[in-house]
Amino acid sequence: MALASAATDSPIQTTSETNDNNLQTFFVLHKASSRKSEKRSTGTGKTRRRIDLSPSSPKKTDKSEAERAEEWDERRYEHLRMEAFELVWSRIDLTIKDVLRGINTNVLNEIHSWVCESFNAIKSFGTLGFAEATRSFPIVAAATCKRLFTGLILTKNMEFVDDLLTFEELGLSLRSHGCHVANLSSMDFSAKNGIGGCLRGFLRQFLTTTLDAADISILASWYREQDNHDSPVVVIIDDMERCCGSVLSDFILMLSEWVLKIPIIILMGVSTTLDAPRNILPSNVLQRLCPSKFILGSPAERMDAVVEAVLVKQCSGFSVGHRAAVFLRNYFLNQDGTLTSFIRALKIACAQHFSMEPLSFILGDLLVEEKQKGEKICLLPEVILKHASQLPSYVRNQMADQTAKSLVHGFSELKRLQKCWSIVVLCLYEAGKCNKIRLLDLLCEALDPDLYISRASNNHVELDKDSGLGMASDRCKRRKYSTFQKGGIISQIVRKVRDLPAVMLYQLLKSWENITVDILEIHEKLKELQSVLRFEDGKLKQNVDDISKRHSSWSPLNIEKDSKAINEKAATLLDCLVRDYLRPMECIPLHEIVCFKNVEKLQLALIGDPRRRIQVDLLEFYKILQCSCCSKSGNVLLPSMHDTSVMYTLAQEHGDLINLHDWFQSFKTVVLQPSTKGKHKSKQSPLSKKRKHKYESENKSEASIQARFCRAVTELQITGLLRMPSRRRPDCVQRVAFGL
Amino acid sequence: MGKEESPQITRRTTRSSSSVTVAKNGVETTKTSDSRPLTINELVFGENPIGLDDLLSSFPSRRAQILELVRLLGPSNSPMLPIFIYGGSSTGKTSIILQIFRHLNRPFVYSSCLTCYSPRILFESILNQLLLHRKNAANGYSSAKRCERPSDFVNSLREALSNVINNLKGNSGKSSTKNLVGRADGSMVYLIFDNLELVREWDKSATILPFLFNLFDVLKMPEVGLIFVSNTSPDTYYSSMGYMEPIPVHFPDYTEDAIRQILMKNQVNRKLYLSFLDVVLRPFCRITRRVDELSTALAPLFEKYCEPVSDSGVVPNEEMKRVLFSHLQPYIAPSLNEVFKVSSQPSPEVKTNSEIKQKGSRRKSGGCEEIDELDFHMSTSAKYLLISAFLASRNPATLDASLFDPMGGFDSRKRKRKPSQKSLEQKETVEQELLMKGPGTFPLERLLAIFQCITSIAEGSIDEEEQGDEGLEVQGGDGRLMSDVLLQLSSLCNANFIIKGGSCPLEGLIRYRSTVSEDMVMKVARSLKFPLSKYLYRR
Repeated sequence: MALASAATDSPIQTTSETNDNNLQTFFVLHKASSRKSEKRSTGTGKTRRRIDLSPSSPKKTDKSEAERAEEWDERRYEHLRMEAFELVWSRIDLTIKDVLRGINTNVLNEIHSWVCESFNAIKSFGTLGFAEATRSFPIVAAATCKRLFTGLILTKNMEFVDDLLTFEELGLSLRSHGCHVANLSSMDFSAKNGIGGCLRGFLRQFLTTTLDAADISILASWYREQDNHDSPVVVIIDDMERCCGSVLSDFILMLSEWVLKIPIIILMGVSTTLDAPRNILPSNVLQRLCPSKFILGSPAERMDAVVEAVLVKQCSGFSVGHRAAVFLRNYFLNQDGTLTSFIRALKIACAQHFSMEPLSFILGDLLVEEKQKGEKICLLPEVILKHASQLPSYVRNQMADQTAKSLVHGFSELKRLQKCWSIVVLCLYEAGKCNKIRLLDLLCEALDPDLYISRASNNHVELDKDSGLGMASDRCKRRKYSTFQKGGIISQIVRKVRDLPAVMLYQLLKSWENITVDILEIHEKLKELQSVLRFEDGKLKQNVDDISKRHSSWSPLNIEKDSKAINEKAATLLDCLVRDYLRPMECIPLHEIVCFKNVEKLQLALIGDPRRRIQVDLLEFYKILQCSCCSKSGNVLLPSMHDTSVMYTLAQEHGDLINLHDWFQSFKTVVLQPSTKGKHKSKQSPLSKKRKHKYESENKSEASIQARFCRAVTELQITGLLRMPSRRRPDCVQRVAFGL
Repeated sequence: MGKEESPQITRRTTRSSSSVTVAKNGVETTKTSDSRPLTINELVFGENPIGLDDLLSSFPSRRAQILELVRLLGPSNSPMLPIFIYGGSSTGKTSIILQIFRHLNRPFVYSSCLTCYSPRILFESILNQLLLHRKNAANGYSSAKRCERPSDFVNSLREALSNVINNLKGNSGKSSTKNLVGRADGSMVYLIFDNLELVREWDKSATILPFLFNLFDVLKMPEVGLIFVSNTSPDTYYSSMGYMEPIPVHFPDYTEDAIRQILMKNQVNRKLYLSFLDVVLRPFCRITRRVDELSTALAPLFEKYCEPVSDSGVVPNEEMKRVLFSHLQPYIAPSLNEVFKVSSQPSPEVKTNSEIKQKGSRRKSGGCEEIDELDFHMSTSAKYLLISAFLASRNPATLDASLFDPMGGFDSRKRKRKPSQKSLEQKETVEQELLMKGPGTFPLERLLAIFQCITSIAEGSIDEEEQGDEGLEVQGGDGRLMSDVLLQLSSLCNANFIIKGGSCPLEGLIRYRSTVSEDMVMKVARSLKFPLSKYLYRR
């Protein structure tokens, strides 16, 4: 918190010095974001400074000499942090885009080859000359020839945003293969614009001229005019479900009339199930379609790929803490379910991290010059070193000597441990793949510092036992270990490895080998295991041969036992890796520099929960207004309170329906309370003061109270807390009670 | 284009304009050179005329209609009254009229009200054809004349028609023409309006339809013939507006035999196809007599039928027919109900092992439709919202309190249910009523109330479930799923799971209706481990 406040304070100080006039605006801006107590203190500090700045000028220069240097430094570091943020985020962004593109390539290729096939099929119905193709009357042909080839692309996600990019890319890739592509969206198929608007949007993508009457025959002549009329026209409709059914069916019928003249192929994005076209389109339209389906990667798969690239493999060095990861996971699963929002959340986290953590610019340096990082850090001024040495994780690990050397060592250690961690996570993920374990869940568990600590302590106990008893069996140990976290995903995976069939185990070890190449110590262990397996594998094969040859005495039981032993070894290795190397970010010294942990900030940024906020604020308005008159009142309603708050508080006493008359009466009694009126007159909040004075003179006529009442009711209606009287019950308003 | 302009000039201008484009753009030379410059002969069908016998034989069981039409059209240069051709869709109306004009080799202007979706485009399309105007890049794909109002259209049409007719007369006067094939016969011009039934759905149908039917009287040109093609009967148009009724020609639905003959056309192995039709045609004909539907439905079945046959030219004997039938039989019944069959595209080139694997998994997932899991992603709160919308649509609103009361709601529910189970008759009528009504509508508040109830109940179980990774409860309990419910609601509406219905007549508020099938909700509930059946009120 201290660090955060320091970070937020810096711009205020600088501005206070450079330009006094700007001070007020900055002050207000920060008031909203930081805690009240802090805000108070900074506010008072500022006023004081302003006071002692103004009278004596020599004093000012004196003071600012030292301050200015510091200031300059801080500004420089802020700049550095911004740069680092941009660097880190651009790298993350790039990685995400690459990953997503990689996921889609297979499907895109598939779609392209299907488009080519369909085009050939259309061409096989007969080639037309220029005159034939641009005539107004249809070509007499069998009904099967008039069907439109339609690719239904299942996006596997109810929310559509994630796939906007995919469809854009699909269009680009088809275009690069020489197809004429039009990207349409549901906006083009609105009932309001009808088929005319739809066609206009469609034709606009091909023709450069603006048309006042869009007509599909134009497209026919355009297509024949083109030199390359040996490529298909592909229409991509992003979100089929959102289209207006009648317009879409008109469009399809029209295209199918012309399909022999213009080889049109439709690609439609379907976000729910294959039933969707059946629900939207009438049957005579459906039978004009000749559908095929394509499946895009599911959001969970994409999410895993992104998480793997960004958070596990750590393309940028930036990482999130356990609680933040859990929050991101829950947000994805429960609230929004789109990758877009996950990436947005990640970006918010990243930005928050760089704005709050003073040392975060180091991350940028680490990223740029991996080799020179040591020197750079050595060059850091003392202030920064002090900062670094005060990081709680650093202190905790008793690396007391504040030399730059130790810091450099700390960073390299951090890097190494991070690397080990990510390798172990990848190994676990690889093993869990056949068990359909989601990387996001695994990540949450792998990042949990508590689990790590308990694992470590468990380990110590076991070690003690080992030394004491000397003969604690392996199995016993494991039981202890696994009972500790029974439901955990990691232990699930370890258990799974134990039951893996030999072939799959072999593949798994192969993949582990690839993953662990960089870290020698793990790699060695793996090699050892692999050599055993290979040997056993050979023996296995030999055994099979033997059996087939002469029915030898080798029993299958034996073989089973052998393979079981290997499984056991693999599981032990994994167990060992988890114990030794799966050290979460938050247990590594200096992690504050690269790791974002502030969940509350992230939550505030993502889930504003505005409805609840409105209601809470209406009931506890004095916390915001902070007027002296109302804050002490407790639950007693005072006339000095804001009208809407009074009304809303009164409404709490009613049920679903509020009788307007009763409500008005109670409001009137509150407003007209004679005893409190005089007392609070002087210290009202500025907002109500104006109005109060006005009303005083009018002697609070009935009409004015009614007007205030109406205004408050309208305000409540606008905020969505009330519903106006219905025709059935003209004297009651209905409370829209929800969210609290 | 003036009236007095002679046909020769028209021809020359078009030719010169096309030569200008050629000069401009070398690429277009090859493209446009094969198409002659636009002449009056563009208005005929364009291919070699066919004889009457060919015409009759190419349309089985349409002999009477074809002869009737030819009689109505009369010999060349004889005036005719408007004709109204009607009959169900895919009964050969458009094809036959086009082929008749091919046979007669007379100039006509065809415009489909499907392609020409508004009066303006219809008018301009007709005028463009008559004025021999072709939209292209050179003229910015614009029409020859801008024409929106019927009165303008009549004037331009009269002008253009007389021009064309003069042209035709001059043309027929000359005995020696270069190409006899494409030359128009006679001096009549026919206007064909196809898909006329669609005009009824246009905004201005009330004025356009009488106008079109009246066109013959308005034009007062004996050289113009009008032909309307529609798939609804004339009764659906006329409303005794005082115009002359066109002569109706009805195209009845095909009989089974006619369908067999039509489907047999263009088949390579006629014997094999005939044996195939013997098996499938009767059940399919009970469902539809539309040739287009039948041919699309039968094509994949025939492929299946041919699977065991190695030689495509084989003549099937009885034994073989039996084998083929038993092979086909399991596929017939399912395909009867199938309107929309989605085939998953097998990727054409198999390069690597991984691709094979992927393909296999894809097939598996596509093959069996009855997967228990939901095959697309929804967030948890959207799932709960979907379930609550379903419940709100299904359950009567009066039972909400007893179903969702968090304080021992189950007991009160049982108490409530017992009396209702007694009166079976009443139950049945209510059930029927509900079936007729479909899913009920509900206001937003009710949806949100149910949503809050079921999430508060379900969250308890979620917590237990997720105790493995502790610390998942970053947020405080009840607000977790609630925060952006309205956003989720809008995305459910977008996915067509919930329909924003019309407003309640009494209160004037927006009401919602859930359109999800029960299977789907069951899947969703299963994925959440939510006891849906407990909350569903069964009649």
